[in-house]
Amino acid sequence: MSAKSTYALLATFSKTPEFFQATAKVRDAGFKKWDVFTPFPVHGLDDQMGVGRSKVPIFTLCGGVFGFCLGTLITWYMNGFDYPLIVGGKPFWSPVFPFPVMYELTILNAAFGTLLGMFTMNLLPRHNHPLFEYEDFLKSSDDTFFIVIEKADPQFDLDKTKAFLTEIGAEEVHVVEA
Amino acid sequence: MSANASTASTSVAASSGGKKDYSMIALIIGVIGIAIALIGLVMDLTHGEGRVGQSWLIAYGFWMAMLIGMLFLTQLTYLFDAGWAVVVRRQWENAFAAFPWMALILVPVVALPFFVSDSSGAIWEWMDPSFVLPGIHATTVGNDALYIAKEKFLNVPFFIVRLVIYFAVFCGLGSLLRKHSIQNDAQPDANNWLACRKISAIGIYLTAFATTFMAFDLFMSLSYHWFSTMYGVWFFAASMRAGLAGTVILCNLAGTKGWLQGFYNKHHNYFLGCLCLAFTVFWAYISFSQYFLIYNANIPEETFWFNIREMNADGSKNSWWWVSMALIFGHFLIPFLVLLFYKTKVIRNRLMGICGWILAFTLLDMYWNILPKQEADDSVLGYYVQQFIPNVWDIAALVGIGGIVIWATLRSAAKHKPIPLNDPRIKESLHAHQ
Repeated sequence: MSAKSTYALLATFSKTPEFFQATAKVRDAGFKKWDVFTPFPVHGLDDQMGVGRSKVPIFTLCGGVFGFCLGTLITWYMNGFDYPLIVGGKPFWSPVFPFPVMYELTILNAAFGTLLGMFTMNLLPRHNHPLFEYEDFLKSSDDTFFIVIEKADPQFDLDKTKAFLTEIGAEEVHVVEA
Repeated sequence: MSANASTASTSVAASSGGKKDYSMIALIIGVIGIAIALIGLVMDLTHGEGRVGQSWLIAYGFWMAMLIGMLFLTQLTYLFDAGWAVVVRRQWENAFAAFPWMALILVPVVALPFFVSDSSGAIWEWMDPSFVLPGIHATTVGNDALYIAKEKFLNVPFFIVRLVIYFAVFCGLGSLLRKHSIQNDAQPDANNWLACRKISAIGIYLTAFATTFMAFDLFMSLSYHWFSTMYGVWFFAASMRAGLAGTVILCNLAGTKGWLQGFYNKHHNYFLGCLCLAFTVFWAYISFSQYFLIYNANIPEETFWFNIREMNADGSKNSWWWVSMALIFGHFLIPFLVLLFYKTKVIRNRLMGICGWILAFTLLDMYWNILPKQEADDSVLGYYVQQFIPNVWDIAALVGIGGIVIWATLRSAAKHKPIPLNDPRIKESLHAHQ
């Protein structure tokens, strides 16, 4: 295994209000590559962190539109072009009779798009995360809030960022090496 | 919580004066509108015509759909124990005050044809056995094999009995749900809430049956040769859409200018907006299914209903074809695409705008379902189809019935607390969060 290097700074908080205020300060300080970990959902945290809307709906829409076009194309190709066949006195192809096909493929591909979008945007699948190197990581699902600022952030400076996290109320600041 | 409660009672005191003024205006407009429509109805019936009767039914269908939608929503939110909806529920309960008036408003259109110059078949042809049906094989209703087969169900006494049952269901459920909820304001008791859940569990079935059969009786039987098992579901879908759109507009007006200030927030809008989107899709789904099954089966006794909504005797497109297209794109595609966006559901003016749009197209949907009627002429089919020509009686009936509905709702809102203060989930609703 290769030598460990600094991955991030991890600040712990034990009280929700202090943690909630601190997230806004990290946001206002202009950090980009950072995240928070909480033992339970904290309402309003997205706004506090300055996180925008999820991009997943775009994938859903693209998947849906693709599915609709695919359904239109295959029904037209099969019934209207490649092997025209009169069924029940209907036209070879019209938008009415194959609509269930178009509709079902819209739904199916919208679902695929959503799944794909969720995995892509969450950078999944991944088998390990550098933060697991922090020995008390499981505390984030028990009684401790984390703010993690990654070394990859352009503003990251080990000493200054450490001081900053202490200043905004962190109880402990750990250097996570991975 | 207690702060909210005290604001609630002060805002009741502060705003009740203004609300009463608006309710009086609504009552005056309502009475004038209904009086004008009534004059038109009598004038039309003296000539044996039923066009104003149809105006009445279009307006009636529109407002009744909205009220029935609210009745469904109240029961649904009770059954699913929806915490967010409690603030909104009181507004639905206020609207239930209009049900008894709606029963009264139905009387003229059913009764008058029998009393004005023997025009009993002018609106519902099947009510007059001597009515000559249009078509190349002209026959009277009394000799029509299809009528004879349906006569056991479709006769005037049973029709009236059924209408009485429907209104017993709507008025009964409406007043029971109202009573328990309002009682709970003065004397908090968990049994009120439990009673409402039990009433809803039975009531949702009764409402579903009453809505389905009312749609059959009032609207589908206008063209009694035709039948569709989807028709009741169509009216349910229309009801939910109208009910939700009406709720959004009412709550946002009350939330910005009226008695819901500080109680109603963007999260409530988000939930209602999501339901608007769901029922937009649902409406499209069942409307298309109805068309699709009849199109595929291709049986003349069913297809004629869609044919008269598409083309003239010579095969050229008539005005209903354009209305049909407007419904597909305006009543489904545009609201669907607009409501997909998150921002539409949380920005007040956008949501109110699209809900106003949905209401306008709900009205067009009523026109499309009620107005096309075959009238005898010399063409190759033996009839022509009454076209999409709105007139002043439509407006009088729409405004008239609407005035009464709004008056009844505002009058109830002025009398009672703006929100169910002691509901077990009121706190959850005030702090509702996506």
